[in-house]
Amino acid sequence: MIIIVDSLNKHEFPELLDGMFRLRARVFKDRLGWDVSVVNGRETDLFDDLDPAHVISVDEEGHVVGCMRLLQTTGPHMLSDIFSPLLDGEPPLRSSTIWEATRFCVDTQRLTRGKEKRSISYVTSEVMIGAFEYAMKAGVKDAVAVIDPIMDRVLKRSGNAPHGYLGSPKPMGKVTALAALMDCSRERIESIRAFSGIKHDVFAQPEFSNAA
Amino acid sequence: MDLIDLSTVESSPEHCLNFLDQLCEQLGLDSGSYATSNPVTGAVQGYANYPDEWKMHYMRRNLHHIDPTIHKAALSIAPVDWSRFERDERFKAVFFAAHDFGIANKGITVPVRGPYGDRGLLSVTRKCSDTEWSALIPEIIAELQMAAVHMHDAVMQSDVLSRALRQPKLSAREREVLQWVAAGKTQQDIGDILLISNRTVEVHLRSAREKLGALTSVQAVGRAIGLGLIYPK
Repeated sequence: MIIIVDSLNKHEFPELLDGMFRLRARVFKDRLGWDVSVVNGRETDLFDDLDPAHVISVDEEGHVVGCMRLLQTTGPHMLSDIFSPLLDGEPPLRSSTIWEATRFCVDTQRLTRGKEKRSISYVTSEVMIGAFEYAMKAGVKDAVAVIDPIMDRVLKRSGNAPHGYLGSPKPMGKVTALAALMDCSRERIESIRAFSGIKHDVFAQPEFSNAA
Repeated sequence: MDLIDLSTVESSPEHCLNFLDQLCEQLGLDSGSYATSNPVTGAVQGYANYPDEWKMHYMRRNLHHIDPTIHKAALSIAPVDWSRFERDERFKAVFFAAHDFGIANKGITVPVRGPYGDRGLLSVTRKCSDTEWSALIPEIIAELQMAAVHMHDAVMQSDVLSRALRQPKLSAREREVLQWVAAGKTQQDIGDILLISNRTVEVHLRSAREKLGALTSVQAVGRAIGLGLIYPK
């Protein structure tokens, strides 16, 4: 299930945030070798202090198994700052209807291959459905996501291929990073749902649920 | 912390109040307001087309110190429906009073963030049933988002220094797309010419429009020509 944690409700979810920062440390520092700051096993940066929204996937035992961080492109965000080399020196997009997705990752240690509920593919799809539905409800039409080539392949295979890219891929740690564009639309969500077999409302909180 | 009605300040762009009126009329809303806090002085500045009696009451009681639409909505990246606010003492102090002044019961606040960490808030209200409200919002939310950033940028650029700091920075791709729009090409044509998807063309165009503070692509082309970013056809 998906839980949206932002600066309005973060006091309700200290354990989830902690689990998410620990997952990010394992993925971005240990596995991908990015130059990120890890303190006491938790990866955080200055963008976590700018009131972002986190899309967090939690398994049945309460573990954080996937996450993504969202920021508005009208304000300070990673592509306008840290990740600007990805844009080949060009200024970033800026629109009230485009959000930026960063720190997108899933727990490859806890999750399995294949397509069942505890799989990498399922959780990736669940996070994407959560993010796109949340964005659509906010009137946001597209997302620009900083991802690595493996994630790019996972998206292409799971009915969720980017509709374009910005700039060019650049080396980052052990992998390369790229800026991919995805529309936040019914069609894309339907396509991800069809691939993953996720039919239910992914949100645990009534205020974000589709029914609300 | 002072509360300033920008429409009473001589140098302020007067069109902001008209803009709020038009927005309400076009989208079927009762009233709207925009607020931002000055990063240096902390003063809350803004516009509202609420009835004068409510504005007077709000200012006299300094309700901007406790108004959750100002203090809480800015923490979200997504529009915040007023039903999401906790029913605490501060909420009651503002919303019960608003009710007494006949202010609508349904509302949503759209938070805007600017490039220098500046934040603005566009709030709109309407007196209606839950059903009407939940049918209206998905229809108008994208327009509210664009209106919010438009208004925020207009207010932030209301002095010469900020205007200079905030010269729109278009990417090569955005200029290229605008140049083809100026030449009369459709989005599909442009995608074929540049070998990118139709949707990607739209993303660049939308970003260029908003950077230029333009509501339409035609207006964006005009401004880009005026700023020397693209050539007249």
